[in-house]
Amino acid sequence: MKFDVIIIGGGLSGLTASIALAEAGKEVALVSAGQNSLHFGSGSFDLLGFDEQGKAVSEPIAAIAQLSEKHPYKKVQDVEKLAQQAKQLLEKAKIATFGDTTSNHWRITPVGALMPTWLSVEGMVTVQEPNQMPWRKVALINIQNYLDLPTKFLAAGLRERGVEVDVKAFTLPELQALRQSPTEMRSTNIAKVIEQHNLIASVADEVNRLTSNDYDMVLLPAVLGIKSNAQADQLLQLIKTPANYVATLPPSVSGVRIATLLRKRFTELGGTFFTGDQVVEGVWEGETLKGVKTAKLDGTVLEANHFILATGSFMSRGLAADYTHVYEPALGVDVDDLGLDRTNWAKIEVTDPQPYMEMGVKTDANLHCERAGKTIANLYAVGSILSGHNTIKRLDAAGVDMLTALQVVHNIVK
Amino acid sequence: MATETQTKNVSVNNFEQCLKCSICTVYCPVSAVTPLYPGPKQAGPDGERYRLKDKEFFNEALKMCLNCKRCEVACPNDVHIGDIIQAARIKYSTQKPKLRDMMLANTDFMGSMASPFAPIVNPMLKLKPVKGILHGVMGIDKHRTFPNYAHQKFETWFKKEAAPQQDQYRKHVTYFHGCYANYNYPQLGKDFVKVMNAVGYGVHLLEKEKCCGVALIANGLAEQAKRQGEVNMASMRKAIAKGHPVLTTSSTCTFTMRDEYDHLLGIDNHDVRDSISLVTRFLQQLIEKGEIKLAFRADYRKRIAYHSACHMERMGWVPYSTRLLRMIPNIDFVMLESQCCGISGTYGFKKENYERSQAIGEGLFQNIKEVHPDCVATECETCKWQIEMSTGVPVMNPISIIAEALDVEETRKLNEK
Repeated sequence: MKFDVIIIGGGLSGLTASIALAEAGKEVALVSAGQNSLHFGSGSFDLLGFDEQGKAVSEPIAAIAQLSEKHPYKKVQDVEKLAQQAKQLLEKAKIATFGDTTSNHWRITPVGALMPTWLSVEGMVTVQEPNQMPWRKVALINIQNYLDLPTKFLAAGLRERGVEVDVKAFTLPELQALRQSPTEMRSTNIAKVIEQHNLIASVADEVNRLTSNDYDMVLLPAVLGIKSNAQADQLLQLIKTPANYVATLPPSVSGVRIATLLRKRFTELGGTFFTGDQVVEGVWEGETLKGVKTAKLDGTVLEANHFILATGSFMSRGLAADYTHVYEPALGVDVDDLGLDRTNWAKIEVTDPQPYMEMGVKTDANLHCERAGKTIANLYAVGSILSGHNTIKRLDAAGVDMLTALQVVHNIVK
Repeated sequence: MATETQTKNVSVNNFEQCLKCSICTVYCPVSAVTPLYPGPKQAGPDGERYRLKDKEFFNEALKMCLNCKRCEVACPNDVHIGDIIQAARIKYSTQKPKLRDMMLANTDFMGSMASPFAPIVNPMLKLKPVKGILHGVMGIDKHRTFPNYAHQKFETWFKKEAAPQQDQYRKHVTYFHGCYANYNYPQLGKDFVKVMNAVGYGVHLLEKEKCCGVALIANGLAEQAKRQGEVNMASMRKAIAKGHPVLTTSSTCTFTMRDEYDHLLGIDNHDVRDSISLVTRFLQQLIEKGEIKLAFRADYRKRIAYHSACHMERMGWVPYSTRLLRMIPNIDFVMLESQCCGISGTYGFKKENYERSQAIGEGLFQNIKEVHPDCVATECETCKWQIEMSTGVPVMNPISIIAEALDVEETRKLNEK
């Protein structure tokens, strides 16, 4: 089967590239081996949270200019412009966000820490300044027996910053029924139950019963709206006090919604999805990638003029390691292992910057991959599979995913 | 040495690769509608750790699993969650199948009994008192209507009307028609023959065809499924030896014979597997290679919504069918959101599953109503019953759509050379 472009990997970077290419009129196929890390998301998109000295970033564009040359952002020609495009791409997929590149705002993690971020999904709780909390008194309202919102941590985090917090909980018979299988009382199942039984008004009643004018903010777990944010918006309107959602532990409903809406957008643009399948080898002609073979399609070769590798890092199996080597399993392109031997891949202290986090595939200035030392002119890499940055320490995952993807789309389409 | 240890350390069905990320739970259609089901993670890899220690940990609630495999499609780490659950049912379940389960499971026995009496059986099965008895005594839900039995089986029609002309073609395929085409809807088989003949292929049947066994596996009759599977494999080996690939029109039969035979029943199908293909995939591949051409009627117009049946999704073959359908010039083609319709073969026919089955399908039914197509296209016969019953929109197998849209004479000419 022949396409203009084949994207390998269905996470944020792969979906961004696929959508942008389909919008540009290309015939695009996306091969995705299982779902992606958006499902563990926070409901926000980080661009650059901490600089290389570990200092929190307030003005991301200025801070990106200061990053070392090995960082993937150095291969993005106009960060500000592409960041704007990324936000628009989300908007067209019906993912409404707030925030911009001029200044980071702060999201609140499920364990009560504050993290600098770029875009947040409408309805999520954020603050402008970490040291000036905009509320005097907050009601943190959980659903009874829902264990993926660690309210004690959240409350402690807010109290540390001088906010008075009351932790409360409510339930409804339909939600209580979920407890019959305790392992299944998860965010996404709660979302489905609330939707199936049309419980928004009842939830609003419960929240209103537990709160009063005394609170200047009500925080609720982000467990609403898998397919759209209509219900989540509706609930906030029905609550008499200003209210927002706070991210939960995975699975993340806002993340699932982002993934669902991006897939939907791609399908509506006429893109072809190879789901639950995996690229197992490339078909090469000299230094050109002619096609890829997958695990499920037996002999069928998926051919294209351009290919984009967006398979993620170790966690997503975009990179793999055995006892001696780090390698890229799908196409066998060259990996930058930082020249380290096995004993130095990781540091003993888990919170130290881990060298393996900076490993990734080698790319040239235009994000082309290399194979056996030679540049592959029609194969690009985007997102977390790129070497040269520590996503956890920099808080740059979503930005690198989307901006490198858009850069490659630009390189292909121009 | 270290590398060797690492390579060897791979568990059956990858169950040790589970990261406990819970993504499977997000996509489980059963978890979404009932808290009584322990969910794919718990029923699958988590529960397996316990069951390996003591079979007492087996939970009969696992029978609520639809075997849709959407957990496996979603799993980022290639854990065969559905296989783990089904294998556990086969290995540990102590519940004996009821008479009702045997009836539902033995689709070919029931079909061969009912077919000769179709004019009597069909209206009878629609009578309220009969439905009442089936519901009350047998546990077959009263909302369901059995698909009509055909008075003339596909096999009978084929032998009489089609078989004599098949040897005149230069190229040949073998058709595994399945129970549905044979007993309930011979038109599907006729459509298959029409298209294959038009592109220059003679059609033959297997020396012996047994039901693929999917319903037997689902109803706790794995041993019988295995016996039938061995018969099918033996017949297929003969066909393949003659150079005839085995083609099907049903996604579930295909999936069962290619994957479940090996994974669940321990049937060695490695030499046959690659030669079993779905007809849409076969045609799409030949067209890509330039070996055949299709010509379509200029006046054919239809708004077609494609439903990705669970086992199509699991096989990863949806694009073959959709690309083939999109070759029809004047159709209006819409992809439905990929989600389970809830019937899952015989599952939805059981009284105890009816409500759950309809709740699972609700998202799909809504989606279809919004799209408002002339017909829904899908390769799965039980999805067809469920969607037709629940939405009123007719459902067609993609090969029947191709047959309907095909300009037979023109196609014949194009493929004569």
